[in-house]
Amino acid sequence: MASFSRSDLPAEKQPVDARSVSDESDSSNEEGWEDVEQEDDSQPVVDLFSETVYPDVRSMLKVCKDKHNFDLLKIQKQLDLDFLDSIKLVNYVRTQVKAGNKTPDVSSKSQFEDDAYLKPVLEDDALLYSLDDIVEEQAVDETSGGDADRRVLELQEELERLQTQFSEYRTAVQQSLEDQLTKEDEKLQPNAAKKTTDKTEEVDADYFSSYSYNTIHESMLKDTIRTDAYRDFVYENKHLFKDKVVLDVGCGTGILSMFCAKAGAKKVISVDNSNIIDRAKEIVYDNGLGDVITCVQGKIEEVTLPVEKVDIIISEWMGYGLLFEAMFDSVIYARDRYLAPDGLMVPSHATLRVAPFADPDFIASHISFWHNVYGFKMNSMLLNIYEEALVRGIQPTTIPGDSNIFLPLPLHTITVEELNFIKEFQFTLNEDIDALDGFAIWFDIFFMPSRESPVPENPIPSEMKKKGIVSFTTGPDDTETHWMQTILLIDHAKEQPKPLKKGQTFTGKVGYQRKQNGYRGLDINVEWNGGENASGKQQWALQ
Amino acid sequence: MEGAENTQGGNSSSADRMVGMEHSEVRYFTSYDHHGIHEEMLKDDVRTRSYRDSIYQNRHLFKDKVVLDVGCGTGILSMFAARAGAKHVIGVDMSSIIEKAKQIVHVNGLSDKITLLQGKMEEVHLPFPKVDIIISEWMGYFLLYESMLDTVLYARDTYLAPGGKIFPDKATMYVAGIEDGDYKDDKIGFWDNVYGFDYSPMKEIALTEPLVDTVEMKALVTDPCPIITFDLNTVTVADLAFKVPYNLTAKRSDFIHAMIAWFDIDFSACHKPIHFSTGPHAKYTHWKQTVFYLRDVLTIEEDEQVSGWLENRPNDKNKRDLDINLSYKFEINDPTRFAEGSCFYRMYVFPEHLVTTVT
Repeated sequence: MASFSRSDLPAEKQPVDARSVSDESDSSNEEGWEDVEQEDDSQPVVDLFSETVYPDVRSMLKVCKDKHNFDLLKIQKQLDLDFLDSIKLVNYVRTQVKAGNKTPDVSSKSQFEDDAYLKPVLEDDALLYSLDDIVEEQAVDETSGGDADRRVLELQEELERLQTQFSEYRTAVQQSLEDQLTKEDEKLQPNAAKKTTDKTEEVDADYFSSYSYNTIHESMLKDTIRTDAYRDFVYENKHLFKDKVVLDVGCGTGILSMFCAKAGAKKVISVDNSNIIDRAKEIVYDNGLGDVITCVQGKIEEVTLPVEKVDIIISEWMGYGLLFEAMFDSVIYARDRYLAPDGLMVPSHATLRVAPFADPDFIASHISFWHNVYGFKMNSMLLNIYEEALVRGIQPTTIPGDSNIFLPLPLHTITVEELNFIKEFQFTLNEDIDALDGFAIWFDIFFMPSRESPVPENPIPSEMKKKGIVSFTTGPDDTETHWMQTILLIDHAKEQPKPLKKGQTFTGKVGYQRKQNGYRGLDINVEWNGGENASGKQQWALQ
Repeated sequence: MEGAENTQGGNSSSADRMVGMEHSEVRYFTSYDHHGIHEEMLKDDVRTRSYRDSIYQNRHLFKDKVVLDVGCGTGILSMFAARAGAKHVIGVDMSSIIEKAKQIVHVNGLSDKITLLQGKMEEVHLPFPKVDIIISEWMGYFLLYESMLDTVLYARDTYLAPGGKIFPDKATMYVAGIEDGDYKDDKIGFWDNVYGFDYSPMKEIALTEPLVDTVEMKALVTDPCPIITFDLNTVTVADLAFKVPYNLTAKRSDFIHAMIAWFDIDFSACHKPIHFSTGPHAKYTHWKQTVFYLRDVLTIEEDEQVSGWLENRPNDKNKRDLDINLSYKFEINDPTRFAEGSCFYRMYVFPEHLVTTVT
């Protein structure tokens, strides 16, 4: 996916950043950066020793001091607590009080040094977000009569330090939450999937932030699953490329062409219709490969190539759901027109897979959301969510069954006509689910070293790799690629979805139909049968 | 912007560009669910809540008033206004999202209070000759990128009654300097060695593309500097092309790899003014911040100053693109650290919009 954000790393690689926890910290702390004076914006806070709510932190702390002999500021000072320590102290006290101990032992830091106390006990605990203010007020109190200017500077430094600490705190909280969620993930508890949802949202956010021209290429090149596979195949099979003529269809920045040139190709012809070819020319020249690589701008169907036949066609033509975008038609054209009879397609095989999809949290976040938006019903926004195929990175835990190949594509022989198809599939649930939310589709790619290499009926990239065959999957079990997965949500609107048992087998058909008039659209039809109330038929568009 | 598909007559430019893009590129500009845009904006709590509060906390201002919602999208702001007691609300949007908005308004029982019109602000026929209040969520990345501000100004000049109010009515842009070595390396340095190849031609382009991204507070090396404030009651379209000076003071000794820009929004017509910031110190919004990488790396010490000019104007050919020029001068006696330069950036209109215009 085109994207220019630093968060365009696959979700699991994303650095923990402030945004995911900042939801909780809407209060004075962050706003204070520009207008230190506005800090006294008081907000209600829950008492440390009861459920009483006080209008502001100061009055709450006074009651703690007077009534419970608990002086937070004094303890902070005595134990020399920094910001994180203070957070832990507050959560420790709240934990103890919650457990019935109204006189928690705060004689030493060791009582609450466990990082578990970074996790807020109360949601939106105003006290936690006011801790730095308290310290600041305390500092002011202490220095009445001092050199005012110097104090202001010191306070600014203090504020800055606290803000740094605060962001560290958020990171720490996030980390500890994530750790916890991971643990729960393993236990398969319901809230484990919260993490998934957050990630999904992050990925979503990127769709809208992408407008840059460069970053399309950047995101493709940085998709190491993709680029590494091409590089590995070319560099590990130099004997195949030595002194050969290679055609790169849709060459982009020319990376695949340069791999081939480095591997010893006699000549590489690189074709792309986009203006990016101008950059490719410069890049090829800068890398001293201008005498091997010829860049040609235009459609492969229209350009005149300097050769009659080529020995190898290399192309990275795959789109969402494999066939969205119809670029493969051009590759097939190039193959039929230019590839020598014994020539090699790189890659050589692809398989399309379908699997059941069940992700209640995804549904909650993206479907139920529309039931109540700031007090309004927006259900009509859902009307065509079931008509569009979604492109998402999903977690393996959302696939309650084995995937099934519905179309193998032998790239040496497949025809354009075969790209509109209806194929059968079958899968069996390997766990109980509350509802079948939809289907996930993805593809695997294989680089066989010759036209004759036998390919198993059910090739699996991880197993093929063990046999020395370069391959990769765009499925949820491996590192995410920019193709992610294609999700088809079932519209349950008319009837309550039925819980399904492990062992339930589904049979059905998947159809791909390229749009006639639109030059890029793709309709996907699925018909499924999993017994009573678990059967249906639906169409989605990738557009 | 709520009406993110709003394409003020600029379709042709991106379509033209699309023609040159087939094959390796076109397929990547697509295929997010179209609700996604609206979902993201509605879930931007800072944004949506600020509008809600500015309306709900000022029922006395909305009571029995005629309100115009420019670029109404899913209609959320129109519904806020209707609930706040407006006599009538008119929502206008170019996008077909307005069909959804009509259903939503109906389901929420507000059809008699809200009239939704699809079309350009300049072409639609409003049921009222004048309106008392204009509400609009028109802001884009870098405030002005793909912004609907000129449409709002047209609506103001054409429909707003004398003394009428605009929600929000003030936008202030800020710049600051940041330490961003790691990401600069990842975004710019990446092109120095791509799988063993020199990709410097791509690096040149990368340096001209501002990055919309989340910047952490701790990356800030300088104080922020407000560069320009737009008062929506008086600003004109011509004012949106500007050249303004800035002056930044380092608050610690560090490197400066990039300048960032963000904006704050004020609803000052409110009884109790409402304000939100999209800066690195504030809660996350979908606008994030805009990062401009410098060609130089400035080595600055605490209290030293760097100054310069920021110039922004719509591109001559494609008026929806922004041409931004950022000059900087780090005047200092130490010749090893002295730096002066200027960088050109362009914010492109992303062909993503074709997703909604081609199909």
